[in-house]
Formats: sequence, C-alpha cells, structure tokens
Amino acid sequence: MTTTEIALATPSRSRGASLSRRDIRLGEILLAPALAYIFLLVAVPFLLAVFLSLTNSSAGSLQFSFVGLQNFRAVLGSPVFRRALWNTFVFTFVSQFLVMVLGNILARALMKPFRGKLLVRFLILLPWAAPISLATLGWLWIFDSTFSVINWMLKVVGWLGPGQWYYWLGDPVLGMVAIITVHVWRMLPFSTVILLAGLTSIPKEIHEAADIDGAGPLSKTFQITIPMMLPILTVAILFGVVFTFTDMSVVYLLTRGGPYNSTHVLASLAFQDGVLGGDVGRGAAEAIFLVPLLVLMAVVMLRISRRAEVV
Amino acid sequence: MQSRRQFILKGAKLVAVGAAAASAGPTVFVRGAGAADKQLKVLQWAHFVPAYDKWFDPWAKDWGAKRGVEVTVDHVGFADVVPRATAEVAAQSGHDVHMFIGLASAFEEHVVDLKEVAGALEKKYGKPVELAHRSTYNPFTKKQFALSDMWVPDPGNYHKKVWTDIGIPNGPVTYEDLVKAAPEVKKVAPQMQIPIGVGLSQDIDSNMAVRNILWCHGGSIQDKEGNVVLNSPETLKALEYAKRLYSVGMTQAVLSWNAASNNQAFNAQETSYILNSISAYRTAQDNKLPVLENYFFVPALKGPTGIQLASEHVMSGYVVWKFSKSQDVAKEFLVALVDASRESMLASKLYNFPSFYGAAADPGTAMNKKSESGAAWIAKQCNADPFGSQPGDKLSLLAKALPWSTNLGYPGFANPAEGEIFDTYVITDMFAKTATGALSPKDALTEASNRCKEIFAKWRKKGMVAGGSKDR
Amino acid sequence: MARRGWGGALRTIGHRLLILGFTGFAIFPFYWMAVTAFKQNADLYVGASNTAHNPFIFNRPPTLEHLQILFGTTLYPTWLFNTLWVGGLVVAITLLLGVPAAYSLARLTGRWGEHLSIAIFLTYLIPSTLLFIPFSRLVALLGLQNQLWALVLIYPTFTVPFCTWLLMGFLKTLPKEIEESAMVDGCSRMSAIVRVVLPLAVPGLLTAVIFALTLTIQEFVYSLTFISSVSRMTVSVGVPVALVRGDVYYWGSLMAACLITSVPLALLYNFFLDRFIAGFTVGAIK
Repeated sequence: MTTTEIALATPSRSRGASLSRRDIRLGEILLAPALAYIFLLVAVPFLLAVFLSLTNSSAGSLQFSFVGLQNFRAVLGSPVFRRALWNTFVFTFVSQFLVMVLGNILARALMKPFRGKLLVRFLILLPWAAPISLATLGWLWIFDSTFSVINWMLKVVGWLGPGQWYYWLGDPVLGMVAIITVHVWRMLPFSTVILLAGLTSIPKEIHEAADIDGAGPLSKTFQITIPMMLPILTVAILFGVVFTFTDMSVVYLLTRGGPYNSTHVLASLAFQDGVLGGDVGRGAAEAIFLVPLLVLMAVVMLRISRRAEVV
Repeated sequence: MQSRRQFILKGAKLVAVGAAAASAGPTVFVRGAGAADKQLKVLQWAHFVPAYDKWFDPWAKDWGAKRGVEVTVDHVGFADVVPRATAEVAAQSGHDVHMFIGLASAFEEHVVDLKEVAGALEKKYGKPVELAHRSTYNPFTKKQFALSDMWVPDPGNYHKKVWTDIGIPNGPVTYEDLVKAAPEVKKVAPQMQIPIGVGLSQDIDSNMAVRNILWCHGGSIQDKEGNVVLNSPETLKALEYAKRLYSVGMTQAVLSWNAASNNQAFNAQETSYILNSISAYRTAQDNKLPVLENYFFVPALKGPTGIQLASEHVMSGYVVWKFSKSQDVAKEFLVALVDASRESMLASKLYNFPSFYGAAADPGTAMNKKSESGAAWIAKQCNADPFGSQPGDKLSLLAKALPWSTNLGYPGFANPAEGEIFDTYVITDMFAKTATGALSPKDALTEASNRCKEIFAKWRKKGMVAGGSKDR
Repeated sequence: MARRGWGGALRTIGHRLLILGFTGFAIFPFYWMAVTAFKQNADLYVGASNTAHNPFIFNRPPTLEHLQILFGTTLYPTWLFNTLWVGGLVVAITLLLGVPAAYSLARLTGRWGEHLSIAIFLTYLIPSTLLFIPFSRLVALLGLQNQLWALVLIYPTFTVPFCTWLLMGFLKTLPKEIEESAMVDGCSRMSAIVRVVLPLAVPGLLTAVIFALTLTIQEFVYSLTFISSVSRMTVSVGVPVALVRGDVYYWGSLMAACLITSVPLALLYNFFLDRFIAGFTVGAIK
C-alpha cells in the first residue's frame, strides 16, 4: 500500500459501544430542552400550516372550510406555479454550483500568504455581513433599467453599442441571471470560509505522501482533497442549497417575480398569492410543496456525509 | 431500546405540560392592559410626504388627549400594509384602526360595519365622492366595510420641452396621441431611454395604468352586477393598442418597474410621459432637479370612443377590526379625521384629496352648498399652489379630476375578487405578455379571463361577491 | 524542487489578479453604496445611457444630508440597538439549547440520535413566509405582540435546528479519547465536557454564534409581523419603513444604513476567522 492509502485507511470507531446508564440519562437531559422547544414552536405551527393548505382560509383568518387537495390541484394546474418550481431548482443549483467552484478557487488563493490578506478577507466577508433586504436594494439600483451602473460600464468600454441596452430585471432570462448573481455574491463568503477550513484541515503529510507517490494535481484533487473534505463540503453545499431554495427576499426585492411572473420561486410566489393576494390556503400549498423535496435532498446529502466521516 | 422508549415518553409528557401552559393564556410577559376603551391604536402607511406624518401623529394624539384617550400611531411601508393586516387577523389582536391604501375588501369579514359613521358624515357634509363610496361599500353584503377620508388623483405627467418640440405643446389628449408621438419623441430626444413611460410590471403603478387602458377602450374585468366580462372584443382592442404602444414607445425596462421607477425615470429626464400622482413632482421640487422647468400635467387620456377614465392612485380605506376593544372611540376618530380634511390636504402638499368634498367647505355654509364650497376651496389651492409651483396654477387640473377619476372595480364596486386580481397582477401580466409577444392577445386574454373567473368563483362561494350568471 | 523564475512570477501575478477579481466582485456594490451615501440627489438621478456622467465619482460636491436624514429623522441608532439586543439574546438561547443537544447527539445517542439529528435539521427547511401566520396567533396568545421578546422567542426556531446540527458535526470531529482520558483521571462526564471538550469546541461555537447572529440580523418577515412600533423595530424593518415612502426611495440614506450595519459585522467575522479555521485543523489531527 502506498503511504497515502495507509494514512487514509484508519479504522472507524464503533459508536455507543459502552455507554453507561448515567450517560444515557445525561444524553436525554441534554437533548430535552432543544427538542421540546423545536417541537412546540416549529412542529406544531408547521402542522397547522400544512392544515391550512388543505383549507380555503383567506386573509389570515383561522376560520375556514376544509377543501382537501383542491389547492394542490389548482396550483399544479397553474403555469405560473410550474414555472416557479422550475426556477427554484435552476436558481439554487446553478448558483450553488458557481459558489462551489468559485469558492474553491478563492479558498485556495486565500491559503497562500500575501500582503494585505487580512484586509482582503474583511472585504470578501462584507457581502455575507450585509442585511439582505438592504444589500438587495443596492443591487436593485445596480441592475435598474434606467440607472444600471453595469450598463454604464459596458457602454463606456463599447460592449453595448448605440441603441443596445441590457434590461436586466425586465427580461425573463436576464432577470434570472441577475438573481443568480446576487445569490452567488451573497453566498460566496460563507462557502469560501467553510471550504478554507476544510482545505486547511487536510494535514500536509497526506499531500506530501501523495507527491512522493507521484500523484498529479488532478488526481490529488479527486482522490484526496474531495474525499477528505466531503463532510465539510456537504455542510457547505447543503446549507447553501437550503438557504437559496427557501429564500424569498432576493427574488421579491429585485423583480417581485416579474416580468409577468416569470422569475418567481416557490417562496416568493407563496408570499404573493398567500399573503398579498389573500388566498392563504393556496399560498400554504405552494410553500410546503418544497418540503418533501428538501427532505429528500437533505436525507441523501446527510447520508453521503455520514459515510464519508473518518473518525 | 428501553431507554429510547422511556425518553420519548418523558419527552411527550414534558411537551404536553408545556403546551397546556402556553395555551392557558398570557403569562408574566403581559404589559399592563389598562381600561381598553381609553386606548386607540392606529396603523397607517408611511406617507410619501414625511410632512404629513409629522402633522398626523401629533394631531391624533392631541385629539385623544382632549378626550382622555391614549392614541398610538404606528407606521408601516405601503407594501407591508396587507401582510401586517394578515398577521393581525391571524393573531386576532393588534391595532384598532388599520388604514388600507387600496382594496380593503379582502378583509371584509374581519371588520366592523361602519354604516353609522358613513351616515353621520353624510349628514354633516353631504355624500362622499362616488369613487370613494364604491371602494368602501359592498352592495352584495350591504356592508360599509371601510371609511375613506382621502383619495389621490392620477394625472399624466409630461415633459413640456419634448412635447413642444414634436408639436404638441400641451401634452397628449388621447391614447392614440401617445402612439403617434412616440416615434417623434425618439427623433427629437434620442437620449431618452423610454419615450413613453407606461409601466407593464408587477407593481401598483402598472396595475393602474393597464386598467386605464382597458377601461378607455371599453373593456373591464366585471360589469355592474359583478359578472366577469373580461373576455370581450373591447379588451382585445385594448391589448392590441398596448402592443402597438409598446413596439413604438417602450422597452423591456417597463417590465421591471417598481412604484418608484417611473418617478425616477421622469426625474432623470429619461422618459417624456408617465402616469403618476404628484409625488414625483414634489420630489423634483424638493431636490431642485433640472426637469422641474419642464414638468407639466395633463388629465386622463381619452380612448378611441372618447371614454376618459383613470383610476385613483391611492384610496384610503380605514377599517375597524372586529377584535378591537375600542370600537366606539375608533368610530369617533374616523369622523374627526374627515373633519380635518383641509389640514390633511395641506399637510400632504395637495397629495391627499378629500373624499368628502363638503368637509373642505367654508365653515357655516348651508348643507346643500357644502360640496360646492369644498370644491371651490380645493380649486383655490390647486390654482395657486401654496408649495411653490411655477406657474402657480400648474396643478389646477387636479381640481377638475373628479369627472375622469374612478375606482378599482369600475364599472361596479370594489370587492375581494377584484382585490385579489389586483394583488396577484393578473391584468398587468396579460398586458405584459401581449405587448412583448410572449403570448398572442387572444391567448393572454383567455389565460387571464380564466384566472379571473376562478378567483371570482372562489369569492362567490364565500358569499361576498355577486353575479355569476352572465360571466363571459 | 522549488519552481522559480518565469513560472513562479506568472503564478504570483495570476494569484494576485484572482484575488483582485474576487475582491472587486465582493465589494463593488459596497463602493457604489458608499459613494451614493454622500451624493447629491441631482447627481444620482442621471440615466446610465449618459456615458459622460460617471456614477462612480462625485460629479457634484458630496453632501452629508443623507446621513443627517438617517440619524436625524429616523430612529436608526435605536434600531441598531434593538437588533443587537435581540441578536445577543437569541445567540445565548441558541447556545444554551443547542450545545447540550449537539453533545448529546454526537456522543450519547448512537443510531437513533442520527435519525433525530436529521429530523431536527429538517425543521429548518420550513419557510418563514408560511409560519408567520400561526406564529402571530401564538405571539398574541402569549401577550407578546409588539414586544421584542416575541422575536427572542421565535428566532431560535431557525437558529437552533441548524446550529445544533452544525455543532453536532463539529463535535464528532473531536476524538472520543479526549473525554475518556479525562474521565479515567476521575472527572465526571459533565465536568469532562465543561473542562475539556468545550474549550476545544470554541471554533465550532464561534461558527454557531456568527451564524445565529447573521440570520437574526437579516431576518425581516417575523420582525415585520410582530413589531409595529417604529421605536421597537429592528434595522431590517425600520430602515425600509422610514426610507422607502410610497414611491420615493431615499437612496442615499438607505445605502448609508446598509454600510453602517455591515462593516462592523464583517470586522467581527474577520476577527474570528482564524480561530474558526484553526479549529477544523485540531479536529482533523488524530
């Protein structure tokens, strides 16, 4: 076996082999407060929300009649909803893919020492620190059809000729580009930090051992870096996916789902129909459509992460 | 495992206890309740003119102080008026009086009938303006669900220099004028990004604009009886007009506009015509922007058959929640608010127009002359703008806005179905898809018409909307 | 063998350009915000098709009026204080509930603990735009309407699930031998946790703190729903209420508010970043 393989083949410990009674009791006591809080304050309202999706509740009223799956049927039949479903997936996966790739590049670049590194790190963290409702307002102006500073720059360098113009938020495709850009801009700091932590945690000896064995950069990446970082990668990806999937603010503040409802995601559509439009039952149906999908995705990713743990 | 089952049982017991405690009612966190009737809580939008709020808040408190009532006024962004109402209804507690700036009808079942207030005010000042009546009364359920103290007219704003250069110095008169003028505007002012700034996006300005086009071409969503009549040749004509206008005078920009966009575009001299209340104009004045010397107004445009209609830009609708414990005080407050119509108009720099013209009458006028007297006073303000218009009578057309202003729900009354259609942008989408060619006019119309019928059917089932037999 | 000369120089330049590019992407909106915060409105409202007018510089002299509006006419400092107050309490509650739970799930519960941890994490996936309706009923029932306590009560619903799961994952990277050797020396498990595990878990705790703080500060749906008095609002809600009036946006003041809120936070995160990264390395050493 190569040095690399020996280093990786540490056996995993068996779990819970000899937990005493006291330990088990302690475990329950430590877990109970969080569990109780989550159950009371999340599970119960969630069940209520699920119930609302099966009713014709309107305008926040908690008096309503039961209509079964009618809301779900109506919603599935709506082209706007189907578009929103599609958008939700596209935005999430495209932006997260970009974040992973760019985050990786940036994390590696940040591993090397250089002058001004602390300042650069601070600047790169700013997008994550900014309150999303205010930062998106900034982007609103940056993409504005009349005042867009991006368009100004493009015009100055000659990319946009006379009469040519990018209507970022008024075009279905460019609108999606704008939304994805803001998501990437905002998530990049967080994912970079997590990836940086993961990369730094791979002991130098493993890389050196692989070098001795003559491994090239690509095979090192795929056979060492990614497997060793898998638990961390999963955290970063899962968090990013969930955050983007359930986000309503960026879409709502930038395009309000427009033009003509073509950039809605499930969360923003649920808000528009349920809260602004007053059809709470319909809004609830649209919102919880997400949940089974997310559960599936989360379970899959958590399984992968668990299998990759080397403790 | 034994321990697992025990754990879950213990947990369940704990949770049950916790739930019982929580539902037992308010705990130590409750701040002093006090005598309910001596408190009044009002929720209202943050007025675009900050000066109005500076007048309103102290005025409300003083009014309360004189009666031994503690009045609290809270403000919320105009886009948040509805979500906040939804939350308070769900919570069954919150404020006593809630101001809506559009359709309050969706909340009809949760509010108190205000017919005594409306009756008292009518005795004092005469009838309210027709559009206010149609926005606050449901003839089907016969409920006065809201009270309006003010409305805002929606004139056309045009750029004098550009329109003079193309030979129409007094601005457009008909919708065809816009189509004819657009190519000329492009020649005369090529630097303007959007020759004609009519919004087709998912926001309040666009909602008003597309309805104006629809009505002036003879179409409408509902008829007087509440039947859905969107599917008509007149609507098709309106859609075809919009398509033409878009191709000569607009760009994709208008598909992404929010409420501020047309203001900002006009103030940056990037468009020659917008449909907006005087908010954009006051901004230009406050910031002494270069556009000011060319900032002028025209009344609503006329359709091909001469119909001249524009929706109100804002219609206040004050409701009193059923869960309020200060309903009598709330009703008195609303009466006092209408009494203060003159101050309201002046504090808002002529943005607010009284819903009861008689409330702006000279004191001591005879009952049958009150509306006239009020109208005269309003005209006096508009003819000599106390807030610095040059020339002073720039806003005089607003005093004559009543004949061409109408309510959402024209030709019928406002109702929850119209409200939902408004809030989910069904009509703007129809126009936007047609104008950009995403759908043919016929397909866009069918899609929108089906959605409207679906929404109306839902509210009819709840017994809040009439009609149905003559849906098209 | 070290590679120097052409290859090395090119790599350095490439590296610097990369860093520059990313930094530029991250901060160019902030640069624009900073300039706008001091720009006269007449300098701002100029269409971008006018290439002669550079939006990134001051074409007219800068002004302090936007800051005056922000600090003089709105309750921005109060909102900042409210936000930090709520943030601090929520972080404390999150740690109080989450750390014990995370330890329990990482060490003391075996297989069914895994399933439970997944279930806990999944509660994070329910969007606030759905939950705010039942929550308003709960808040009203408890008499907490219009109190910041309502936020302190409700915000942990999205910080606790994720932080528990995050901390659990982190604690799992610490080898069991650590407590076991302490217990062999005579400590009880509880004191082993406090004296030995927690100090090593500081980077993980910091991550959870930063995450909880970020989410709390960004949140606005619940804040909008439960708080109506302007003096009790948090920054995310108060700023738009006061500075987006109808169809008029007070851009200068809005952008100033965004900057003033973000910069200290980013400084804080930057400060803790090294310890956070170091923590992961500790965990990986076997």
